[in-house]
Amino acid sequence: MKTCIITGAGSGIGRAAAIAIGAANEFEYLALIGRTEDKLAETKAKMTTNAHVELFAYDLADLEGIPALVERIYETTGEITCLLNIAGYTDPQPLLTTSLESMRLTYETNVFAPFLLIRECTKYMRLNRDGSKILNVASTAGITPRPGWLSYASSKAAVVSMSQTLTEELAEYGIRVYCISPGRCATALRRKLAPNEDQSTIMQPEDVGHIICQLVSESEHCLDGQNIIVRKKT
Amino acid sequence: MYSVIILAGGTGSRMHQSVPKQFLALAGKPMILHTLERLERIDEVGEVIVSCHPHYKELLQMHIAAYMLKKPYTIIDGGETRQQSAYLGVKAAKNEDIVIHEAARPFVTTGEFKALMDCDAASATYGLDIPFTVSVQKDGMIGGLLERNSLVNIQLPQKFKRGALLAAYEQAEKDGLVFTEDTSLLYHYTNAPIRVLEGTPNNIKVTNSVDLMAGEAIYREYIVGRD
Repeated sequence: MKTCIITGAGSGIGRAAAIAIGAANEFEYLALIGRTEDKLAETKAKMTTNAHVELFAYDLADLEGIPALVERIYETTGEITCLLNIAGYTDPQPLLTTSLESMRLTYETNVFAPFLLIRECTKYMRLNRDGSKILNVASTAGITPRPGWLSYASSKAAVVSMSQTLTEELAEYGIRVYCISPGRCATALRRKLAPNEDQSTIMQPEDVGHIICQLVSESEHCLDGQNIIVRKKT
Repeated sequence: MYSVIILAGGTGSRMHQSVPKQFLALAGKPMILHTLERLERIDEVGEVIVSCHPHYKELLQMHIAAYMLKKPYTIIDGGETRQQSAYLGVKAAKNEDIVIHEAARPFVTTGEFKALMDCDAASATYGLDIPFTVSVQKDGMIGGLLERNSLVNIQLPQKFKRGALLAAYEQAEKDGLVFTEDTSLLYHYTNAPIRVLEGTPNNIKVTNSVDLMAGEAIYREYIVGRD
């Protein structure tokens, strides 16, 4: 069963991607992962799709449970076709007040969880022989220095590098790896980074969700391996 | 179904490395894994027998587990010579149809394995035309001429019938003859027809350090197809 796993599906870009991908009807099973059941249910309620939508309330900071989570999805569907690492975390602080705990939590959510999800999904995607895709959401923060965003920006730089490395490493398995770096986008995470911003003037999650949907579409096979910057022209 | 024998008994002395070349990283993973992962995708492969130095059997088993390879594997001790290692591998095979390949040729494709298995000859090898002149040398002098057009650069993989090859090995053992590869041995003892399939220059045997560097480029351009 053609299956797409979407993390961070309870809000923001993850929710928008789930709605767009559901409407495109290219997958038969959509596994939505988010921290709270209620928010996932809200996402599901907004979706129009022929796919079977399953909700997985799971905090990705719990790294140890990720292999079992992926295995559970595979046991249900018999195939993992696509993985979208969208969930993100930020705790913007200047260097001198950045705690190790904050840095660790940022990396666990933004880097270690995607790494584990990719590793576990690849075990099954290799069996598809062709047509599997992984998409990681980084950020323009990962390529642009911003004082006070140390943990978030450096974690997103790691996502860019991880994506490019894995593009090469997984190519022989027929797995394409995509990386997008959205600029300013009206999400709760962005609100933490820029609390005083008027979010009605910047890019909306639906804009990014639409692009993600296009990239994971079967017809797209040219844009993997790049860090694709997604910005709204202002 | 085929039994595939992978020769991986080398110790890497020519590479001046602490581990045998078949375990050196090539394109991010141990060289031998390139071949083993491709065999995994071939339905006709019924079992894989790897002839390996005893010191590296545990390492190989770890790799097989880590890469979740599902074919039935038998790891055997290599012999004193390449010929003995191949003989022990063939002896351990459960099927009459066998393919022999060497771990130091990591750029063989699944398509090449399949074409070899599908060809209607009982015995077959890959071979390449020789684009350079080869002569006989004797005491540091040219000692004879060879007709380039009649020569072929033998490449693995090769396929055989187990019974015929085993008999040839055993006769060679009695005669004390050693061959550098198995079509020479089989031809010597049986004169059997051995089909030559057209090989590719990309299917190099990684022998020296410079081959590892060339191998990275071959992997990227030829196997993955990314420019």
